[in-house]
Amino acid sequence: MVERRSIRQRALDRYLVLALLCLFTTAWVTPLAIVALSSMKTPREQAQSGILALPANAAMILDNIASASELAGIGNGLLSSLIYAFVGSVAAVIAASSAAYSIAMLKIRFPFFWFLIIYSGTIFPFQMYLMPLFGLYQSVGLYDTRFGMLLFYSAIAVPFCIFVFRNYFIGMQGEVIEAASLDGASSFQTYLRIVLPMAKAPALFLFVTQFSWIWNDFLFGQVLAKSDDVRPVMTSLAMLSGAYGKGTIPQQMAGALTASIPTLILFFALQKHFMQGIVLNTAGE
Amino acid sequence: MPDTNQVSTEPLRKEGPITALGRAPLEAPTRALALLRKIEPYLYLLPALLLVGGLLLYSVAHTFAISFTDWDLITPPRFAGLKNYIDAIRDPTFTRSFSNTLIWTGGSLLLPVAGGLLLAVILERIPGQRVLKTLIYLPAILSTTVVAAIWSYVYTNNGVLNETLRWVGLEALARPWLVFAPTNTLAMIVASSWRALGPSMVLFLVGLQTIPPELIEAAKIDGAGERILFWRIKLPLLRPITAIVVIMSVIGSFMTFDLVWVMTQGGPGRSSETLAVTMYRQAFIMWRMGYAGAVAVILSTIVIAFSIFYLRATLKRSALW
Repeated sequence: MVERRSIRQRALDRYLVLALLCLFTTAWVTPLAIVALSSMKTPREQAQSGILALPANAAMILDNIASASELAGIGNGLLSSLIYAFVGSVAAVIAASSAAYSIAMLKIRFPFFWFLIIYSGTIFPFQMYLMPLFGLYQSVGLYDTRFGMLLFYSAIAVPFCIFVFRNYFIGMQGEVIEAASLDGASSFQTYLRIVLPMAKAPALFLFVTQFSWIWNDFLFGQVLAKSDDVRPVMTSLAMLSGAYGKGTIPQQMAGALTASIPTLILFFALQKHFMQGIVLNTAGE
Repeated sequence: MPDTNQVSTEPLRKEGPITALGRAPLEAPTRALALLRKIEPYLYLLPALLLVGGLLLYSVAHTFAISFTDWDLITPPRFAGLKNYIDAIRDPTFTRSFSNTLIWTGGSLLLPVAGGLLLAVILERIPGQRVLKTLIYLPAILSTTVVAAIWSYVYTNNGVLNETLRWVGLEALARPWLVFAPTNTLAMIVASSWRALGPSMVLFLVGLQTIPPELIEAAKIDGAGERILFWRIKLPLLRPITAIVVIMSVIGSFMTFDLVWVMTQGGPGRSSETLAVTMYRQAFIMWRMGYAGAVAVILSTIVIAFSIFYLRATLKRSALW
């Protein structure tokens, strides 16, 4: 009798927990709904209607994006960030995979030393990079150029990439050397035809994580760029928002929404890689 | 790197006679080829080394050097010894910035870390786990700048939070959230936790999956309730993961910049500055490069100390598997 009641009690507890959890999750994602709703309103409508009231004309979002673009260069920022995130992460994957190939599979002196040198780029807070980069970029004419931004974004992504590639390559060392000796391939052919195709999984994972890191960056866009053409999208968005922002709330929300679309698409398309990513990021395996 | 030892071990007759221009031209192509073969493996290292060394490591060394000078970026830097460090320690704004950073650290341990652990333990045995997990993780995909934009709207006077409070009849609680210290810092920690909770929850879920189910079953048969199960079995077995999440959270807190800069720029009256914000303001608003360098070096010392703990925790972990 006692046993049965406790089972029923437990089932009840479980439903209660589930209900609370659903309530919590709903509240958790409500800000996202508010962003979407407010981005479709006129400033007046936003001020007068309830926060969760439906917008009168959803197409208003296009007007808001257009005026946000005019105000802070969101449109230009989207294009620049797309270039930085795509080219920067591809360049980092290439530079890191070839360096890791040399470290893990070719005959070089002090491979671990070279690895540590490159990997040490992950350990410092970004505040250590800001002033010298700003000074250097000013003096060599890279300040406020797309090339300068690309160079930096590639560099900042390399250390983590080399860490992942090195671990992966050490694991597949035997197979590669065997395949290469059967082929009689040169070291470059081995890299291009054997190593890279075998490393598709880590390369894709790194592309996704580095793409979204570069896409989401605000700080280096703030320090190394100033014009509408060069500034990445997050730095532009920051000009609209916050205590010192100059945009209306619908403009801010429309900007926030547009700036998030690429990473949201990536997330839903490659959800597994993202989740795996944070585990890998921390587990160091 | 051409290696002289190796050259001397080669049979002499392979080499041409020594001339003013080096070895005889007849043998030059093979020698060049041999040299190329020797340095070829290093060429693969070159792009990564140039990028990381030329931009990142150079900057670290330079910032360190700047911290011992007085420099406004226009006149040449003058050596100042430890003056910047002493100035920083005596500066009440620096002290406040430091204590704000500690509040960030504590808040981030409480909300995303402890909260993430709690959610993971609850979610572990719930049927709709995957959907809920994805939804809770969702804000983590957004840029900190986007999160700052959203929560600026939440916290403004006629924003989401105050309107909601008025709507449910708690008007007395409505206030300007980002104006007074320490409320502004606490409000921003909540905003930041919205983004940080998902990843720590996922990590704890991964950790919970590695606990052998037989262990839990055995404890249940012995009559252990949920509470004992958590404190005596799950939590101790989660220790490696907990160490990683805690250290990452501490490192992240010490580097907090984007969110604060976008939401308040460290104000009003520099009341919500963190160390990273102080560094940025000193460097790029006040052009006191030396002082900013000293703040950066102090910040790095703390972060690197924790990173070493982190590396040890991860290394231990991979040694286990």
